Amino acid sequence: MSTNTTNSLSGVLCSFAFAGVITALMTAIFIVESQLLIAGVLLGTIGAIVISSKFGVTSIILKSLGENENLSNALAVLVTLALIVIFYDDHYVLFILCTILLYSVTVLGLNIQLGYAGLINFSGAAFFGVGGYTAAVLSQYHSIPPILTLVIGGIIAAIVGSILLLPILRTSGHYSALVTLAFALLFKVFLDVNDSLGGAQGVDVGSFTLFGWDFGNDITIGSYDVSFYVPYVLASLVMLCVVFFFVRRIERSWIGLCLDSVRIDEVSSSCFGINIVRWKIVAFTIGNFVAGLSGALYASILGYISPANFSFGDSLMFLSILLLGGIGNLWGTIIATAIVVVLPEKFQVIQEYRLFIYSTLVLLMIVYRPVGLLPRKTRTYRPGESS
Amino acid sequence: MSDSLLQCTGLTMHFGGLAALSDMSLHINKGEVLGLVGPNGSGKTTFFNVVSGIYKPTCGTVIFDGKDITSESPQAVYNHGISRTFQLSRLCLELSVFDNIMIGNHKRLSRGFISNIFSRRKFNEEYEDGLKRATHILTALNPELANRMFDVVSELPMIDRRRIEICRALISKPKLLFLDEPSAGMTHEETRQLMDEILNMGSYAKGLSIVLIEHEMNVIKRVTDRCVVFNFGQKLFEGTYSEVIADPAVQEAYLGKEVE
Amino acid sequence: MDISLLAQFTVNGLMLGMMYALVAVGFTLFFGVLDIIVFSHGDVVMVGAFAALTGHYWLTGIYPDMSMWVELFFISCISIITVAAFGMIMAKTMILRLRSASPLNTLLATMMLGTVLREAVRLFFPGGSNPKPFPVLLPDISASFGDFTLRFDSVILFVLGALLIVSLHLLITKTKLGMAIRAVAQDEETARLMGVNFTLIVLITFAIGSAVAAFAGVMNGLYYNEINFGMGLLLGAIGFSAAIIGGLGNIYGAILGGFLFAGLQTLGAVAMPFASAYKDVFAFGVVILIMAWKPTGLIAEKTSERV
Ligand SMILES: Nc1ncnc2c1ncn2[C@@H]1O[C@H](COP(=O)(O)OP(=O)(O)OP(=O)(O)O)[C@@H](O)[C@H]1O
Ligand SMILES: [Mg+2]
Repeated sequence: MSTNTTNSLSGVLCSFAFAGVITALMTAIFIVESQLLIAGVLLGTIGAIVISSKFGVTSIILKSLGENENLSNALAVLVTLALIVIFYDDHYVLFILCTILLYSVTVLGLNIQLGYAGLINFSGAAFFGVGGYTAAVLSQYHSIPPILTLVIGGIIAAIVGSILLLPILRTSGHYSALVTLAFALLFKVFLDVNDSLGGAQGVDVGSFTLFGWDFGNDITIGSYDVSFYVPYVLASLVMLCVVFFFVRRIERSWIGLCLDSVRIDEVSSSCFGINIVRWKIVAFTIGNFVAGLSGALYASILGYISPANFSFGDSLMFLSILLLGGIGNLWGTIIATAIVVVLPEKFQVIQEYRLFIYSTLVLLMIVYRPVGLLPRKTRTYRPGESS
Repeated sequence: MSDSLLQCTGLTMHFGGLAALSDMSLHINKGEVLGLVGPNGSGKTTFFNVVSGIYKPTCGTVIFDGKDITSESPQAVYNHGISRTFQLSRLCLELSVFDNIMIGNHKRLSRGFISNIFSRRKFNEEYEDGLKRATHILTALNPELANRMFDVVSELPMIDRRRIEICRALISKPKLLFLDEPSAGMTHEETRQLMDEILNMGSYAKGLSIVLIEHEMNVIKRVTDRCVVFNFGQKLFEGTYSEVIADPAVQEAYLGKEVE
Repeated sequence: MDISLLAQFTVNGLMLGMMYALVAVGFTLFFGVLDIIVFSHGDVVMVGAFAALTGHYWLTGIYPDMSMWVELFFISCISIITVAAFGMIMAKTMILRLRSASPLNTLLATMMLGTVLREAVRLFFPGGSNPKPFPVLLPDISASFGDFTLRFDSVILFVLGALLIVSLHLLITKTKLGMAIRAVAQDEETARLMGVNFTLIVLITFAIGSAVAAFAGVMNGLYYNEINFGMGLLLGAIGFSAAIIGGLGNIYGAILGGFLFAGLQTLGAVAMPFASAYKDVFAFGVVILIMAWKPTGLIAEKTSERV
């Protein structure tokens, strides 16, 4: 029951060193083009993880990071900023960074639904898409500030999701799985056949403009040509930080406790005054809002979206990321997203086989390590506090 | 009757064709420990479930503390001051001891987003308060357990889980506590210990009324003021422990096996 | 509305319903014995169709001028036998291992399994990423009544499907094997105590369900004259929907659900001729409404949770 541990110097140093290693690793993965080298880097990483687990280094690192959460969070932001600086003119890398950040946001939203409240949502990509299409529609009106576009995207997603609330509240288990599954398919078909939203061909999304500055143009700072993606990556990073903070706070509050209780045992929850309907509504709505929020930004970054971006397969991918990372573990989510997004992009050899390999891996994971890469830890209500 | 806390009249609960409770009338006085005994399937747990709002009774009324709480939701019943444990332990095994106990403390916790997420002042006060209360009760039950407040429940032995369930039920300072076979899965010695602990709760149990379902007649003898014997969903007999075991009808229905 | 057009829609709807019912029955059978949803079942239908196609390549390679009927018989057998064996292997190696996982994890795992099957066919079947023409093995005869044409092959397929369902019904209700399956579905522990070999019964159930799916695959190929690697996803989703709206674990519910779903799609197309593309939107929308109205399916099992 020790409260706020004083940060040991070695712990701080260890955290910094780890952040440096991660930056170097990500840089290497992004820079290296030769497939052979990439394979080498990957194998090296896996080898390093295995060896360091053997000698207890992994647990030392995890402990140092866990000891001082504020520092670890700041370091994670620093790592991202460092990558942005290193790749300031590389559209491709910056776009991958955006994808990682925004997919993580969406999966964090799903985590509130599934990880905390136990509501399975097979239409994550649909709500992501509602946000995206909202951004597409709103981008025709240049006077709307970007931040408002994002929030409206989230709100519309939450409203669309509320259509499903009644069946979701009344059903449970597989019956409830069908509700969102049916919606995911319905949504995709709807987009495919609905001409006013571009049909199967998709629709353009105008870039953000703020005070007359168009986000779609490259920026020149001094003698450096900075990619137009940089502001977008920064915006994505801010969004992830805000959502991460929010979800973390939910977890470490009575709200998170109530959601956990609703997930684990509805009968006993109700015998201790917990309003099951209320918490399910809250969790489902927030999750969809967050998905819509990130979808709106993602669509603005892509500049062009089509129904193919928001298929049932994408919903499945979001859920698998959640499962791979470890349901309820926020860092696990981000790491799993990075792996799922980066690997097939960089490892072109497997590009064609990517779905095959990826679904096989998830399948094996569920059978042999159902808790995911980083299992959720027992709740502590204050950072650094532990048993 | 003036100091009766809970008054049930004509409670009946049908599951399809089966009458798990029929025309059950009983009352519990303030500060009393009432024992419920009866053979398996005689409707004791169903009685708890009906009063605590999990099942809606087919007919009958439940008056608690002067208010009609028949067919109210479990949430409302909890807020009126009735708390319970379950026959088959229903703890959240993957959560910590503290988390489980705080679920029982739900009444005192704020649920708003402002106080939980943004300004944490109120949350922190509630947290400190909850931790103090939980430590207080757990220390009374078992001081060692109080040191394991942030351990996961699934790592704890059965008796500690029972203690946590009781702590979860007690922390909201209920007026009436339902204990459904707290001794299930424990040895005689452990049961005795646990009952002693409950009766020695001090400030948390002052004026508390308890309804105890128990098969272990020694426990009934030691802790109850009065007993009600259930049989086939009906009240077979009501009286003190010595009256109960002296009654021939009870002996036939319930203790029959032992007498033979 | 024109009466002959209505008849046309009805016949098409019945045909679809039969296909869906055959798939849904598998979902409900598997749920019965193992209490898990095997979402990859839709893709097993697709594997069945491709197995039949492989059989066709192979047979026509050896006996180029085989009669239609004989070939139909043989490729159906090839498809049914291989897929039944495949179902058993899948159950033994994957599905039985998933029993200890949470319902969500099993659902997700079997969805992944479905993706693996789909991708395997796309990547490793020669030219698998394109739609494949399916051989025409039924006489191309039809009777016309005004605007309404009744295709002879549809009638044959429908009758075969109905026969299959009836024999499945007889198997489940009248035979000793069926009794064992029902015993396992009702209560695994008791069934074990009564000397039922649990694993064997599960494997046999998977063989039966997969065989029915294989037939549905062949039927699908013959009806549309074209198959593709992705056809299983929607079929699986529809089979799952049908099994759920009927009420899981109930074979009649699954059949009802299958025909109901086809009915909804047809209704969607008939009632909104201006927007028949929306028929799936309509059908899935109604499925969601049904879930709100009857949260445990139309033919619900009556249970309340014991506390
Ligand atoms: N949800 C339910 N649905 C159908 N029948 C039920 C339900 N709950 C209880 N019953 C039936 O009601 C009867 C009384 O059950 P109850 O659990 O109240 O008995 P009990 O006295 O607590 O027995 P035990 O000593 O075994 O705990 C039993 O026959 C039981 O099968
Ligand atoms: Mg009982």
